[in-house]
Amino acid sequence: MAIVHFSSNLSQYTGGLETVSIEASRVGELLRALEQRFPDLSGHLESVAVAIDGVIYNDATYQSIPPDSEIHLLPPVSGG
Amino acid sequence: MLSIRYEAPRSIAEAIHLLASDPGAHVLAGGTDLLVQFRAGAKQPSAFIDVKRIPDLVGISLDTNGLRLGAATPAAAICEHAELGRLWPGLVEAVHLIGSAQIQGRGSVGGNLCNASPAADTTSALIADRAECVIAGPGGERVVPAERFCTGPGTTILRRDELLVAVVLPRPPARTADAYFRLIPRSEMDIAVAGAGASVTLDASGTCTAARVAVGAVAPTALLVDAAGQALIGTRLDEATLSLAAAAASAAARPISDKRGTAAYRRHVVGVLAKRAIVSAAARARER
Amino acid sequence: MSARTYRYIGTRPIRHDGLDKVTGRANYGADFTLPGLLQGVVVRSPHAHARIVSIETQAAEAVPGVKAVITGKDIPETSARLALGAEGAFDLHDIGDNLMAHGKALYEGHAVAAVAATSIDAAREAAKLVRVVYEPLEPVMSIERAIAPDAPILHADMVTKGRPLPGTTGPTNIAGRMELKRGDVDQAFAGADVVVEREFRTSTVHQGYIEPHACVARSGEDGQILVWCSTQGGFIARDFCALILGIDAARIKVIPSEIGGGFGGKIPVYLEPVAIVLSHKAGRPVKMVMSRSEVFRASGPTSGTRIRMKLGAKRDGTIVAAQASLWYEAGAYRGSPSGAGAMCCLASYAIPNFFVEAHDVVVNKPKVAAYRAPGSPMATFATESLVDEVARAIGMDPIELRLKNAVAEGDHAPYGPVYGPIGLKQVLEAARAHPHWSAPLGPSQGRGVACGFWFNAGLSSSATVTLNGDGSAGVVTGNPDIGGTRVAQAMMVAEELGIPVERVRPSVADTDTAGYTDLTGGSRVCYATGMAVIRAAQDIAEQLRSRAATIWNVDRDRVAWEPGRPGRVIALDESPDGSVRPPLTIVELASKMAQTGGPIVGRAAVNAPMAGPGFAAHICDLDVDKETGRSTVARYTAIQDVGKAVHPSFVEGQMQGGAAQGIGWALNEEYIYDADGVMENAGFLDYRMPVASDLPMIDTVLVEVANPLHPYGVRGVGEVPIVPPLAAVANAMRDATGVRFTELPLSPSRVLEGLGTIAKG
Ligand SMILES: Cc1cc2nc3c(=O)[nH]c(=O)nc-3n(C[C@H](O)[C@H](O)[C@H](O)COP(=O)(O)OP(=O)(O)OC[C@H]3O[C@@H](n4cnc5c(N)ncnc54)[C@H](O)[C@@H]3O)c2cc1C
Repeated sequence: MAIVHFSSNLSQYTGGLETVSIEASRVGELLRALEQRFPDLSGHLESVAVAIDGVIYNDATYQSIPPDSEIHLLPPVSGG
Repeated sequence: MLSIRYEAPRSIAEAIHLLASDPGAHVLAGGTDLLVQFRAGAKQPSAFIDVKRIPDLVGISLDTNGLRLGAATPAAAICEHAELGRLWPGLVEAVHLIGSAQIQGRGSVGGNLCNASPAADTTSALIADRAECVIAGPGGERVVPAERFCTGPGTTILRRDELLVAVVLPRPPARTADAYFRLIPRSEMDIAVAGAGASVTLDASGTCTAARVAVGAVAPTALLVDAAGQALIGTRLDEATLSLAAAAASAAARPISDKRGTAAYRRHVVGVLAKRAIVSAAARARER
Repeated sequence: MSARTYRYIGTRPIRHDGLDKVTGRANYGADFTLPGLLQGVVVRSPHAHARIVSIETQAAEAVPGVKAVITGKDIPETSARLALGAEGAFDLHDIGDNLMAHGKALYEGHAVAAVAATSIDAAREAAKLVRVVYEPLEPVMSIERAIAPDAPILHADMVTKGRPLPGTTGPTNIAGRMELKRGDVDQAFAGADVVVEREFRTSTVHQGYIEPHACVARSGEDGQILVWCSTQGGFIARDFCALILGIDAARIKVIPSEIGGGFGGKIPVYLEPVAIVLSHKAGRPVKMVMSRSEVFRASGPTSGTRIRMKLGAKRDGTIVAAQASLWYEAGAYRGSPSGAGAMCCLASYAIPNFFVEAHDVVVNKPKVAAYRAPGSPMATFATESLVDEVARAIGMDPIELRLKNAVAEGDHAPYGPVYGPIGLKQVLEAARAHPHWSAPLGPSQGRGVACGFWFNAGLSSSATVTLNGDGSAGVVTGNPDIGGTRVAQAMMVAEELGIPVERVRPSVADTDTAGYTDLTGGSRVCYATGMAVIRAAQDIAEQLRSRAATIWNVDRDRVAWEPGRPGRVIALDESPDGSVRPPLTIVELASKMAQTGGPIVGRAAVNAPMAGPGFAAHICDLDVDKETGRSTVARYTAIQDVGKAVHPSFVEGQMQGGAAQGIGWALNEEYIYDADGVMENAGFLDYRMPVASDLPMIDTVLVEVANPLHPYGVRGVGEVPIVPPLAAVANAMRDATGVRFTELPLSPSRVLEGLGTIAKG
């Protein structure tokens, strides 16, 4: 089970829940599972960056999620 | 299509004739103001009258009476002139502040004066040094003190068909020296937020017998601050006297607030600069 | 990995593009020309905020030599979005409207029409004859005004994205809001021994790249489009043009020129789509070059900000609570880096309780673009000023205080994820040990220190390495070279293949030639594109193994690549006659390419995760003339965790350049507007960036904590160095004067106002 942490911006769509355990082996799967569980989240996960145990991925739909990972969903940042 | 005449007269008379016959003609010395203004669309001359080929306008001549500086002499020639730097270190400092090496290769003291920016660096130094401007026109020559040359931002007493030929400076008497300070937020390539020039004469005992203080960028034109000079005469330039002179310089200022500094700032800082210029000029005078 | 010894990485070879650049031979955006070239000029709004009632172009079209005039009508209004790992996706509707106003001019300088003519004079004359009727509206020039209940609304359809303040439904000028929180802030402040709180302000500032935006576009009768331009990414420029104009990406070829600086400002497009439309209409190629004034007024500076922040600490120096309210000006369209500011501002410290809210506010100024660590410098200015206050309040050395609270591997970033190996503690220790920190100060001097953080991006990159018959090689990527990335890439190929750097020719290719590659930005090129380059070189090595196996007629797994100088393939077994096979060097194998199967081309592509944080600490000595308020940087040292410095000179150059820009931001740079919202200082004379003689030689210390995501340990280095200077300078000012300045820039008049010498003007 991965533990997903929601930022304050996202927890407004999870009924205030800040963390949730989700069974998913890849990022895309995880995001779908989250949207299923929290329908209000849909539309808000399109461009998120996903941090898996501290490593931040962009466009990582097929990135695998090791068991017991710590997941954070972030607004993407690139820079100047 | 844009078309502009370029003329390079060889004599003052020829230059005056060209100016008189074309109301849209502009004198071109180094062009470091004029060409910038032209490119920005601020000035649209019908002709450039390049005065650098007129022998009377270019050159430095020094004799027992003093200095005659051709109006179009490039700043670099002034900075490289050892004797000028010894006699008028403040004026040469002011000239040396203009732009960069490239700008000084072309820009002139005449151009600095005639462009009539309130912030022009050499103008305050020239005023402090009792400079006079030699002007030629169809009716001959006239001479006016530097402090009366500019009449407002961008305007001078020159008539359309007149030319600034030279500035002349009396040779400084014994124990006399000058200094010029300006304030810019950066170290170079900037326009003075305020500036101050001073010339100080001391007697053998160190008492001030003559002094002139001029300030720039704090009024529509550079100003001779009589009250500041007067405050120094008869004193040994003690701290209290210096503060009085600084206060006089600040009081004479009629600054505006703009992108380069607030009026309050300019009024204050011009006093600081005046004081520093006086102190520096006096230190030099003592060494003579 | 740390045990690896390098042959070329960490050396300082001459950059391949160096001679061309110092001799003026290199071709920049404005250097390109074509037969039949037209000159394009943009007509810009003189009003900061105005409804466009009508535009008449007949008089302009009648000017001899004029071949095309276009207005907003010619730029389609698209709803497309381009996701590129920036702050959310790029909203192409906004970029299109920014290219040319459709209904409203939203800042002074906003493009409203454009002209192409056979000469620049004709184009300028025609531009003056484009008659635009405006209905001026009240300009919204500050955050205060933008959020006032009776403020004019810039965009009638704007609602707050993210986590809106309760009760704000819109329309509003608050384009976005974000929250970050941890723990219980109120309780933590109640238990703190020291609480410091202040409000900070920074001005709109510009990147100030030396080369103005410039391009040439040619739209052919066959619908094929060529664009030469100065950009931070050929592909992003291509995709912007394609999506905004509704054209297939395959029909546009972007050829990036050499680039004279960008710092984020050359990520957006301002001229390219306009030039394409003009060229299409005129049937001839069109060149457009911005003036410096246009660059200031109509490209993308970064946000002016207003930040309220509060820190609470224990007497032993432990920071226990932080609270911040960030307000960033976005300019005319949503998209300030306020969110990044929120994520960065507490990233250096392990603070158990915090609440940060960040607001993105539209005002009638040019739409902001990225600027080196976008969003971080301003918010960090607030944090690092307050950390300095805490140190003073409890009487602790400011570096000790920072060390006590500094984040380390295993701590969680304020934006969530756990930190991997990071180097802040090592950086602070290096700062403390540096002779600068203990050097005596002059009588009018003060010393300040500050830290900074930046994420460092990853994203997509491709690379191709081609082996030549003589054993030299070429490496082709799609990243315009801003900071010396070409030589770094050549060094990586040299390292992997064991051939001298001078025998590797690095090229920046156009969008038809290189594989897709994201922009040069986010400090990503040496890391992410470098990763692709290393893999492409390794691909060559793999192919060389096969070629050697062919020559020896053995199985491929019986040969091995042996790094060396030069790199070589060795046989693991003796030859059938029992003799030892001499190794085949890359040079020998290259000479036999045709016989062994044809050309050898290595390629690789990556979508790299973010490189992982970079941290820096800067020490600044400021000499303050208390009579005039003028200050001079007397000494400056930048210390940074750079992961692994591939070419230390360019890493040092990045650190010095970032510091110089940050010092300018702190001391004198600001957009100055008149009461009508017209910019008053749109030039380098009065927009006071530092000149060379303003700064001392900036000393650098490279700390190398390897990034585990990269084969050499590279992490981004280009952006972090602009983050600490704002507070390092302000803290030095505090030290020199005894006064805490909370508003930048620290221009001479502001300093005298702060010292109480003169009244506020
Ligand atoms: C990058 C840069 C930096 C600068 N820095 C400074 C600075 O630090 N301090 C400063 O004071 N100025 C500065 N300037 C302004 C300029 O260089 C000086 O004012 C210079 O002295 C002008 O001299 P010029 O010979 O180039 O004048 P020009 O541009 O040739 O002429 C200026 C004006 O005077 C008129 N004129 C010139 N000569 C005569 C004459 N003999 N008779 C009648 N009219 C005449 C011209 O018609 C024109 O209107 C700077 C300019 C630049 C471009």
